Amino acid sequence: MKYNFILFLLFTQLLIGQNTVTNILLGGVAHIGNGEVIQNSTIIIEEGKIIQIGHSDTINLNISDAKILNVKGKHIYPSLILPNTTLGLAEIDAVRASRDEKEVGLFNSNVRSQIAYNTESTVVSTVRTNGILLAQVTPRGGVIGGTSSVMKLHGNNWQDATYLQDDGLHIYWPEEFHRGHWTHSHDFTAKDKEDDKEDHKKKKRKKTIIELHEFFESAQQYNLLANKEIDLRLEAMQSVFLGDKKLYLHANTVNGIKDAVLFATSYGIRNIVIVGGSESWRITDFILKHNIPIILGRIHSLPNHQDEDIDQPFKTPKILADAGIVFCLDYHGDMERMGSRNLPFLAGTTVNYGFSKEEALKLITLNPALILGIEERTGTLEQGKDANLFVSSGDILDVVSNNVEHLFLLGRQVPLENHQTKLYNKYLDK
Amino acid sequence: MLDSCKHIIKFFFLYFILMLPLTSYAQDNFPINGVRSTNQITYAFINADIYIDYNKIISNATLLIKNDRILKVGSNIKIPNDAKIIDLNGYKICPSFIDIYTDYGQKTNFSDIELSSWNSALNTEFNAINNFEIDLNKAESFIKNGFGIVNSLNKDGIIRGSSTLVSLSYDKPHSSVIIDQSALCLSFNKGASKTKYPSSLMGSIALIRQAYYDADWYDGQKHIYNNSLRAFNIKRDLPKIFEVSNYQSIFRANKIANEFKEKYIIKTNGDEYKRVEELKNLDIPLIVPINFDKLKINTDPYENLNISLASLKHAETAPYNFSILVNHGIDVALTLDGLDSFSDFYKNLKTIISTGVNKNEILKSLTYNPANFLNVYNQTGSLEKGKKANFLIFSGDLFSNNFLIYENWINGKKFVVNNKNIQKLIGKYNFFIDGNKGNEISFFVKNNKICAQADTSKKESIDNIKLFNKQISFIKNGIFFNGTFSDSLIYGELYDSLGHWNTWQLVKFSTDNKLSPSNPDSISTHSKILYPNMAYGLQSNPIQQSILFINATVWTNEEAGIVENCDVAIQDGKILAVGEKINLNIFKSPSNVVLIDASNKHITSGIIDEHSHIAISRGVNEGTQAVTSEVRIGDVINSDDINIYRQLAGGVTIAQLLHGSANPIGGQSAIIKLRWGQSAENLKYHLAKPFIKFALGENVKQSNWGSQYRTRFPQTRMGVEQIIYDAFVRAKEYKENNQAYRKNKKLQKPRKNLELDALVEIMDGKRLVTCHSYVQSEILMLMDIANQFNFKINTFTHILEGYKVAGQLKLHGANASTFSDWWAYKYEVNDAIPYNAALLIDAGVNTAINSDDAEMGRRLNQEAAKIVKYGHVSYEEAWKSVTLNPAKMLQIDQYVGSLKENKDADIVIWSSNPLSMYSKVEKTFIDGRCYYSIEQDLEHREIIKTEKSRLLNKMIKNQK
Repeated sequence: MKYNFILFLLFTQLLIGQNTVTNILLGGVAHIGNGEVIQNSTIIIEEGKIIQIGHSDTINLNISDAKILNVKGKHIYPSLILPNTTLGLAEIDAVRASRDEKEVGLFNSNVRSQIAYNTESTVVSTVRTNGILLAQVTPRGGVIGGTSSVMKLHGNNWQDATYLQDDGLHIYWPEEFHRGHWTHSHDFTAKDKEDDKEDHKKKKRKKTIIELHEFFESAQQYNLLANKEIDLRLEAMQSVFLGDKKLYLHANTVNGIKDAVLFATSYGIRNIVIVGGSESWRITDFILKHNIPIILGRIHSLPNHQDEDIDQPFKTPKILADAGIVFCLDYHGDMERMGSRNLPFLAGTTVNYGFSKEEALKLITLNPALILGIEERTGTLEQGKDANLFVSSGDILDVVSNNVEHLFLLGRQVPLENHQTKLYNKYLDK
Repeated sequence: MLDSCKHIIKFFFLYFILMLPLTSYAQDNFPINGVRSTNQITYAFINADIYIDYNKIISNATLLIKNDRILKVGSNIKIPNDAKIIDLNGYKICPSFIDIYTDYGQKTNFSDIELSSWNSALNTEFNAINNFEIDLNKAESFIKNGFGIVNSLNKDGIIRGSSTLVSLSYDKPHSSVIIDQSALCLSFNKGASKTKYPSSLMGSIALIRQAYYDADWYDGQKHIYNNSLRAFNIKRDLPKIFEVSNYQSIFRANKIANEFKEKYIIKTNGDEYKRVEELKNLDIPLIVPINFDKLKINTDPYENLNISLASLKHAETAPYNFSILVNHGIDVALTLDGLDSFSDFYKNLKTIISTGVNKNEILKSLTYNPANFLNVYNQTGSLEKGKKANFLIFSGDLFSNNFLIYENWINGKKFVVNNKNIQKLIGKYNFFIDGNKGNEISFFVKNNKICAQADTSKKESIDNIKLFNKQISFIKNGIFFNGTFSDSLIYGELYDSLGHWNTWQLVKFSTDNKLSPSNPDSISTHSKILYPNMAYGLQSNPIQQSILFINATVWTNEEAGIVENCDVAIQDGKILAVGEKINLNIFKSPSNVVLIDASNKHITSGIIDEHSHIAISRGVNEGTQAVTSEVRIGDVINSDDINIYRQLAGGVTIAQLLHGSANPIGGQSAIIKLRWGQSAENLKYHLAKPFIKFALGENVKQSNWGSQYRTRFPQTRMGVEQIIYDAFVRAKEYKENNQAYRKNKKLQKPRKNLELDALVEIMDGKRLVTCHSYVQSEILMLMDIANQFNFKINTFTHILEGYKVAGQLKLHGANASTFSDWWAYKYEVNDAIPYNAALLIDAGVNTAINSDDAEMGRRLNQEAAKIVKYGHVSYEEAWKSVTLNPAKMLQIDQYVGSLKENKDADIVIWSSNPLSMYSKVEKTFIDGRCYYSIEQDLEHREIIKTEKSRLLNKMIKNQK
């Protein structure tokens, strides 16, 4: 069934992606995404791929029938990649009917985000127009939230919008975590009750972790059964054990991260990614030792504790980078879908805290591609890769200069209109 | 200090109107069961050192008592021939203690009173005396700790009715009562009240204030009966005990006291040291607990990340609270309230004493002060002729290690606390079992109890010592001992763990009664108190500097625009000059001017966040009613919120703290300057006009509150309009009634209504409206209502569809304060666009970008930059959206919002273009005081690091 599906995908890909026009971007500043920059670049796009990229002096423009776009002085970037998001799964927070990101139950290894992805989402349209053309659409809820897929932010249906199907399984590690929580505030008198609650939560956490162990053990045993009745939840676990699907462990506290990683490795799982990791900077040795990349939670956040450095979330990236940890940035949290168009500005913040602009750009291009396992197809402006890129009149990492003018997804130009620009234009003319 | 004379007069007044029995000893109308028993004996306690009061000790004195009264006290007193003489040579006498904050004898379940207030948190009718029963076990515990009198109250609710002052001596409630209604009790906690209102601290405050006004109004009523208000008025003359849960609430309660010319005795939570300088000027009597929070320190250092420096500092400083208060001349009564167990009393007293406090001050806080607070010092609290015969017989020095109470006499009745023979027991012994010598054992006094300890390497303690006459029993190492003791020998039998009986004896070899010092909790000092007393707290308010910033790029927000190579001069908290090459001579004292080279830096006026919810204590919403214009954020500013500091680091200098959006007419706003370290009152920006929050749409119609919220009116925008319309109809009527009454006092006096007062202020243009709003229909609706009642909506906040009605907003004269790019979180923000601000600005509407979020509040410069991206607003105009424009809509632009001579020196130094992601705040000044700088911040971090590790270490040692 799965193979048929992939064939089908390839087929639709061919139909939609068929792109006989050759596009040439001429004269722009190409930010490759791997740290390099080509000042006066020429990029030739054919059949959805970058077939040539280099300094304009080195590229022969002997192509007839090409559509040439003069982008002299403008900036070209590879598509930004948004990991760990519910974009397309839900539309309006407060409208229950519009939400499809959270299934009930604790262990939903079998649910898959891909099939609920809404290509017509107006929210998606406003994120896309800021240069984010690919996103890891991720289910939430319970302890095992389900399986994510990397989706294109432009398409006609979830099938043609799929970029990488079922890239990984997401576990939301039960941990004690209050971001920006006011600990030991003397403003509240019911302290004893609070402590009771904490105790209760602790017990509940422990119980959940035991259940998770039982679930993983059953899943491993399931594979060995001679005559098995199909169990969809256990079935969905097998690709994780085989390493075909990554295991994304969502954890933020030191103890949560350590627990989760040791848990996963105890089942022989190698393909692990930490998601969140707000306290990961405290244990860089541990993370390096296990060779685990991190999808770092939204850095535009308050510190975890009252006493913490007030800019801790802003400077965490530098600590991780200096330690040699591979990581990228996400926008998970409150208003994560509509807010995710600010992803480039998270990278911009790291420039204020020790990164060069090109290194910062990697955190939202090459690094997420590496971590999601799509680096061979996208993530940089390199020959042979998919032509997922965009043009801005200025530096996209800074709000004041971020101004997207052209979008290309698999070589095809994507419109810059969205729900909001339509309203803008309507009332601008009023 | 209380004016005791006045209070004595007041007391007698009360006595007559309330028919209080002055002495409760005689219960003449009670039938006698059996034959009469009398108490005619005069007791003469002689040769004792007597504490007449907390301050005065007479050695070798005599105390004469008869019945429940003191006949005489002093030296050279003639002892009546028929007196029973008790020789107390070697003993001391002091007054018994008084605890005026207990729930002693209060039954836990009492039925609600019918005919009560609309709000079940207002129990004005409640009388603790009617809910009182004697609790012998608890009485015994109090008595053993030296207490003779306690004030018993119901600790539940906002107005808690009256307390009753009782003696601990009797076995009948009737004979226990000293004053049936001793005080009226209040708090900010609604407790078990089932009435939904109030849900917030500001709601509690409003409820109390309205209750006072209602009571005043009811006083003049003839035709209405209201049991609750009647009871409140009757009790208005009682002393009042107000319980608060932290030091900030002392000031909150005091504000109410001032408004109604009250004097509260405030029961605190033990953290008053945090603002003692301001507290001492208020002359508030305090009832202070002696429980100290025990911090549980974890083994896992990562778990300890959850323990804040604030709580560590508090754990260290709390024992000093008493001494700090007393040293500042504040009158304190101690209470056992909050102690886990009675046995902690002497342990904690010892801790207090180790902070260097005078022991007489402790005696004062347990005798004179509590008696004086409740106006009964004429009856008790010292040992004087005619006063109650309430006293302790003790040995050792007052409250010292060897302090041991033998007898607690209450109302002339003796209660034995410790066996007098204990004196014989104290000393060091050699231990023999069955003739074989064992370890040494010592008996000594600790925490008002006899203790013993075997002198092994582990200093093994001996448990459960029981004494009766000269018999003793105890358990040591699982062996049960029974024996008899004399001056130098203890001997008897034991029953061991194998079931054998044997003989044992202890032979005294030393009468040394001093406990070998076993490392008492080494509290030698506490770290400096910071303002606020937490991470990033300041040691003192930063000084107001005269500074000349040279050669900066200055965003003036004035006609000059953004000026390069420009200087800014500040002096006395104001901007002295802005321009090129400012001469030092313009300063008052040019030699004292600090020169700051600001080349490559950008200088702006401080960011003003028009919509913030930081620094608010216990509830941003009073959402329990649709109209709550009576509640005031200004009452509940929390000066200890770390977000104040974090936002300073983002260049914010002023924020409007708004009520939430849970109801159509919310509460009154507070506009603060982020003067980190200052008290709540000093944070307020007093030049700002009064504001109030309104709200429309999904929040107020409870669309997203869940299925149980489908019944409170309004549930639709139609209903919202009617709620607001109706509120103003009522307010208009109220105003007219008041005007009529002012002209003709014969009319019925209208009840003062805090809710409507605020609405009248709006109609009179004295209070300005900030309205949470989203869709165009509701925006038009509210302007329509405002027009009908002849006022203006000053600000529409959020106003994400403002761009659709920009022309109408302009016409109405409303300001707009919006998010840069939020949307899609609710149905009503489906048409929210990031171009909103640009379109509004284009239409000439004064527009601001706000945060509504503590995190985004520290990046408002970046939010302003978004309107450059979305809508191509110019840098200068974009910057105004977080500075001058919000200043205009808060109507404070004549003082702040731009860099102009004579405006407040609220300025920010940026590393580069403030609109850029790559710009950092380097310094933030408010009123010319530097509240944040990168350098100071690094110092704070160092202090946090060293202080935290020091305190964790200290606490873990104490925990062992």
